[in-house]
Amino acid sequence: MPIPEDIFFASITEINQKLTKRDLSAAELARAFSDRLEAIGPRYNALALSLHKDALRDAKDVDGDIKRERLRGPLQGIPYGAKDLLAYAKHPTTWGAKPYADQVFDYTASALKRIQKHGGLLTGKLAMVELAGGPSYRFATASMTGPGLNPWDTTRWSGGSSSGSAIAVAAGLVTYALGSETSGSILTPSAFCGVTGLRPTYGLVSRHGAMALSWTLDKIGPICRSAEDCGLVLEAIAGGDYEDPASSHKSFYYTPQFARDLKDVRVGYAPVDFNDAVDPAARADYAKALETIKSLGVQVTEAKMPEFPYGPVIGTIISSEGSAVFEPLITSGRVDQLADQHQIAGLKAGLEIPAKEYLKAMRIRALIQESFRDLLSTIDVLIAPTRFDPAPKITQPLDRPASDRPMPADPGLRALIPAGNLAGLPALSLPCGFANGMPMGLQLVGTPFSENLLLAIGKTFQDRTDWHKRRPPVTSG
Amino acid sequence: MSNLNRRQLAAALSAGALSASPILHAQEQPAAGDELNAARAQLRETAAQLDKFPLPMAVEPATTFKP
Repeated sequence: MPIPEDIFFASITEINQKLTKRDLSAAELARAFSDRLEAIGPRYNALALSLHKDALRDAKDVDGDIKRERLRGPLQGIPYGAKDLLAYAKHPTTWGAKPYADQVFDYTASALKRIQKHGGLLTGKLAMVELAGGPSYRFATASMTGPGLNPWDTTRWSGGSSSGSAIAVAAGLVTYALGSETSGSILTPSAFCGVTGLRPTYGLVSRHGAMALSWTLDKIGPICRSAEDCGLVLEAIAGGDYEDPASSHKSFYYTPQFARDLKDVRVGYAPVDFNDAVDPAARADYAKALETIKSLGVQVTEAKMPEFPYGPVIGTIISSEGSAVFEPLITSGRVDQLADQHQIAGLKAGLEIPAKEYLKAMRIRALIQESFRDLLSTIDVLIAPTRFDPAPKITQPLDRPASDRPMPADPGLRALIPAGNLAGLPALSLPCGFANGMPMGLQLVGTPFSENLLLAIGKTFQDRTDWHKRRPPVTSG
Repeated sequence: MSNLNRRQLAAALSAGALSASPILHAQEQPAAGDELNAARAQLRETAAQLDKFPLPMAVEPATTFKP
């Protein structure tokens, strides 16, 4: 009997209940999700590698465990995908880039091993922007698998660099996916595709087995249908790892039942972000989102970001570290096999950045970290639109402003993505409306290791809205 | 893009001038040499922006990333 369509869009908890009640078997799920990923994933350039056989093999083990009542938690038997920057032993891991098309590791990334222990079913590696975007790229075509096509409108981009992860969740090809963020690579595709993405605190999730772009900025995190699902996945993948020198050696337990009383939570926002700065077609939905946040009972206050050259600081750090990571690729000349000329040039030029420039950026970064410590001693959570415009057209250059709309002089919290990444802060992006049919997101940023608070606000927001339940027009035929 | 010289291309690719530049299409990527010069110009512009930021001598680089 075919799996009902609703299962492809069900939450982790809903599917897990059906498995433990034996309404469904893990093998049925693995087969149905793998078939769907293989059939529909390529339509959106979302699939890097199907792991159909592995998923079916693991599913049989899961069914055996469930039969013997060896229950391993909510991820047991749930199909998921992983950005193709995470190593999966003895299978290609391409990093989305032609020079690495044949790369195979003999070990599996720590985050994937943790999910394996919980009985998760990895059905596929998901497409990404080549080298997670490197220092920068000009076109959505900067990927070995082609541009990530947005399930809400295939003439538009999915966002990157975790393109396939967000597409696959939005289109119901996996129940959840892992992505990575150096500066915006989880939040942006989550917002553009209308799904919920969590960027964990730097160091909370091991990067062992993940491609490095910037040692001091890279994070691994979940992209899901809801804040609750993000909490469940984060609980599985977080934790200390001596294989990752940046590991904070902290665990995470998703405990919504022990969330702080929202009446005690101070939420900061900049009014300009929800008015003149954001796309006019989305302003009504953002006004409603802000009202919903206020209706949670939190203390809402206006906030100002400390003034720093966030863009130049993060650009210098990513360029310096990224070019150092990929020096062998650059000096060998194989860098010219990349798809995006802008990225090729950026990687080459990055090797010429003087040490004093990198150190200057890192010194300013120290001040940014200090300023955010001060700001977040008076405000618990900052909120702002995740992106101020909806997903751009596929042909639109990405290294220029998304629209010709004049931006207000008041900077609001528009630099929250680079600022939050430089300070190592966690962030959650929630679907909160549409602009001309394209999803928009609301980001919440908190103090280090405040994921439970962000998720509690996110879950309560999603209890009162249904943006996260909207589905793009995907047909399985 | 073919009507732009290198200096114009570098200026067009720098952050401040991007909004005034003509739309680039995927089929119209600049030549590799021009692109590299533009990337170098961008890095010089970025360095100039960092130079404008006053840094007290006592500020040490961020070396701890475990908040």
